[in-house]
Amino acid sequence: MFDFLIQGFEVALSPLNLGLALFGAILGTLFGALPGIGPINGIAILMPLAYTLGLPPESALIMLAAIYTGAEYGGRMSSILLNVPGDAGAVMTTLDGHPLAKQGLAGPALGLSAVSSFVGATIAIIGLTLFAPLLAEAAVQFGPAELFGLMVFAFASMSVMMGKDPIKTAIGAVIGVMIATIGVDSSTGVMRYTFGMAELQDGIDLVVMIIGLFAISEILLMLEHNMRGGGEGLPPLGRVFVSWKEIRRCRATMGRCGLLGFLVGILPGTGASVAGAVAYTTEKRISDKEGTFGTGDMRGLAAPEAANNASAAGSFVPMLTLGIPGSGTTAVLLGALMLYNIDPGPMLFSERPEVAGGLIASLYIGNLALLALNLPLAGLFARVLIVPRWVLVPAIALLAFVGVFQLHSNLAAIYLMLLIGVGGYLLRKLGFSLAPVILGFVLGGMMESNLRRALSISGGDLGILWQSGISIGLWIAAVALLVLPWLLPRVLRAWR
Amino acid sequence: MKFNRLFKSCSALALVAGSLVLGSAQAQSGKSECIAPAKPGGGYDLTCRLAANGLLETGLIDEPMVVTYMPGGIGAVAYNHLTGVRTDDPNLIVAASTGAAVNLSLGKFGDYSGDEVRWLGAFGVDYGAIVVKADAPWQNLDELMDDLRDNPGDIAFGAGGTVGSQDWMKAALTAKAADISPRKLRYAAFEGGGEALSALLGNHIQVFTGDLSELRSQLASGKIRVLAALSEERMGGPFKDIPTAAEQGYDVQWPIWRGFYMGPDVSDEAYQAWEKRFETLTQKPAFEEMRAKRGLFPMARFGDDFDSYVQQQIQQFKGLAKEVGLTQ
Amino acid sequence: MNRTADRVLGLVLIVLAAGAAAWATRFNVPFSYDPLGPKAFPMGLALILAVLSLVLVIRPGANGEWPDRPMALKLGLVLAVLLVYALLFTRLGYPLTSLCAVTVLARLFAASWRKALVTGVAMTVVTYFLFTQALGIGLPEGRWLSAWF
Repeated sequence: MFDFLIQGFEVALSPLNLGLALFGAILGTLFGALPGIGPINGIAILMPLAYTLGLPPESALIMLAAIYTGAEYGGRMSSILLNVPGDAGAVMTTLDGHPLAKQGLAGPALGLSAVSSFVGATIAIIGLTLFAPLLAEAAVQFGPAELFGLMVFAFASMSVMMGKDPIKTAIGAVIGVMIATIGVDSSTGVMRYTFGMAELQDGIDLVVMIIGLFAISEILLMLEHNMRGGGEGLPPLGRVFVSWKEIRRCRATMGRCGLLGFLVGILPGTGASVAGAVAYTTEKRISDKEGTFGTGDMRGLAAPEAANNASAAGSFVPMLTLGIPGSGTTAVLLGALMLYNIDPGPMLFSERPEVAGGLIASLYIGNLALLALNLPLAGLFARVLIVPRWVLVPAIALLAFVGVFQLHSNLAAIYLMLLIGVGGYLLRKLGFSLAPVILGFVLGGMMESNLRRALSISGGDLGILWQSGISIGLWIAAVALLVLPWLLPRVLRAWR
Repeated sequence: MKFNRLFKSCSALALVAGSLVLGSAQAQSGKSECIAPAKPGGGYDLTCRLAANGLLETGLIDEPMVVTYMPGGIGAVAYNHLTGVRTDDPNLIVAASTGAAVNLSLGKFGDYSGDEVRWLGAFGVDYGAIVVKADAPWQNLDELMDDLRDNPGDIAFGAGGTVGSQDWMKAALTAKAADISPRKLRYAAFEGGGEALSALLGNHIQVFTGDLSELRSQLASGKIRVLAALSEERMGGPFKDIPTAAEQGYDVQWPIWRGFYMGPDVSDEAYQAWEKRFETLTQKPAFEEMRAKRGLFPMARFGDDFDSYVQQQIQQFKGLAKEVGLTQ
Repeated sequence: MNRTADRVLGLVLIVLAAGAAAWATRFNVPFSYDPLGPKAFPMGLALILAVLSLVLVIRPGANGEWPDRPMALKLGLVLAVLLVYALLFTRLGYPLTSLCAVTVLARLFAASWRKALVTGVAMTVVTYFLFTQALGIGLPEGRWLSAWF
């Protein structure tokens, strides 16, 4: 049954492919670490090259998959060190990752995130190896109505983030959802809030949103800090390596979130950002007994990291088994497969075992390589923190500009980024957390379009929203999330 | 032997790294450039890359063509850019397709009529397809149409575009062919064909109006049935068993051409040079093979012939939009 | 004093919500396949935002320190640098604008002229080659530079 995997390892372990996997992993880490430049760009840029070089399909795919995996590892670095997410999947990583860095624990934070990424990805790859065809069948059961249920659940689980200032969390999320309504309405095609500008028609790009909200506002806050005489203001670098004890403490978190991220990654249309958000909020609900999440809790860092790497592997499931991309990045990879005349689908595993097996085997190897690369180097990367601000800030600005410009070739996107940055600065000064804004932005758009898709299909009948077992389960879970924390203590008290 | 293999692998690696450095070193301004008016990875990206690789491999250009992404307004931003900023760049082409013509005719690009730019030509084409699940009750287009006439409310259509997009047009035209107002249809707009296809496989929608080329792997796995290809005549290869809509008595055609336009003030010499270049390209067997690999069917219309084709298409879509009640 | 900020924010957001709702009434379409149409979501969101903002006006919280005049001036300066950088980015090209932007930003973050210049030159050269050569990302060259190369 696992012949394809054995054959795959033989393919993946050849010196050329091993070299390509390493090369891809390192390059991917770089692509991921630079804000705004993500795996999609990396793959889109290297794909034609791999083809022109005449690499055999399995080698090309191995290299491209390694770039993808590497980028998921790289994205967390600037999240932890600079409070600027390197890509969409790493937004939640800032919540506990950056506070850890501020406490002088940047090294261990980087190490732990590498370990959780590895654990999450490994869980997902094992899942991919064992159950891919089965899961793909299950994933297509998630239609618009079920996805709407999932969004309701995701918003309900966001309620845990309301902790300190519930009103401001809610306002932040609503602002995020409202920003998501800008652009062409995805159902009727009418322009909403575009001010007649063609640049706004496609809506605001997630990358522009993230870079503006986080990177630009961070620059402004750093300036204030500098002027307040905070000096370089960062704590001395403490320990460099993550301790075994810390890893042990997070093992349950990694397991749970890896599984969760994998499942979210398989679903159509959801990706690393949704996986990270759902995992973080769920984990906070489960294990944040002392209210330390958001202040530098190791588990709050492990949760999104395990989940976003797992979802990256999860999105391979529909691609390899159904030929349907589960994320933007796998859509590009699918294009690469087509280029080589390989049709993904149920027969891929039997007809081209060297491709399917080689890819899966290279995911195992790539992850191992990335862990081996990232653990010892954590200390080195953490040194970014002792770089003086007058070097760091211009660097952030440069990367933000290049990241946005290479995606849009358009100055309007850069102006928009600056505008969003000022907005982000004001929100932060007013005591808002940025995570709900981004989550509202990502989830809100999906919520509206899936609800309206479902109602288009049913002709307006609301019944479609709770027709299937999956939807009902998600609704119950959502209601339970909102009601139980309030109800349970009361019931228990009455019991006693 | 062993050493030899190692050496080979190492040199391949060095080649990858080396060409990364070299390949991009040349990719600078002044060289030819193709704007893909979308994010990386979509159909426009594919169009630009096919041109870039094809022209380079057949020696029609000396240096690699730069591919630039300019997403926004399904192509409107790039159109504005060409009509307003880089109006006369002789080295710049922009990828376009039937979708651009649809958007121009609906006024989605703003107050343009479509004759603001110089339409260069199309070098490949894809066709719409009417797809149902393999276990669906309809064996041919007739059965689907009959059922649709009787119970329009029970059959949900889905595709990867909003009302008024070229994906929607395929569904609307199908409905129209069955004498059903496109307004009466059940239609869900998805984010791209992939999502619509998974909704079809999950039985959330019953009919998917997609493109032939994206169905290749699904066809091979036997999970779907293509009731009709919206092409003029039958396609070959894996699609040879799929009847056209016309064969089944329905006059629905939906070619999705893939081509380019240039700025309005580009000199005639530059325009004709590009026209010639693409004409030569489409005659090369090597290119035909590359085009087929990317799932495109042959098409070669260039210069004035293509320009009038696009203008005619825009007029046709305008009439169509009025007919189905999209515009007044 | 600190609570004023929240009150002002609440009022601003209410105005924003009203504007958004008013604009949403004009999202007219010939027909829509779903009963909600393009208006429902924006309107609903505007309503929620208005209610939440009202709560904020009535029960404002405290927030942090606001920048004093010199600080606000300097923040404005940084933004101005970024804006000018954006304005000239394509016109003068990446190398020149980045050199200037990095140098000035470094100066604003209290580096000496010498350090700022060194940073500017080093960072521009390194990133330029990193992006164009190693990562294959095209950067604007600026029209005037092509004459030399």
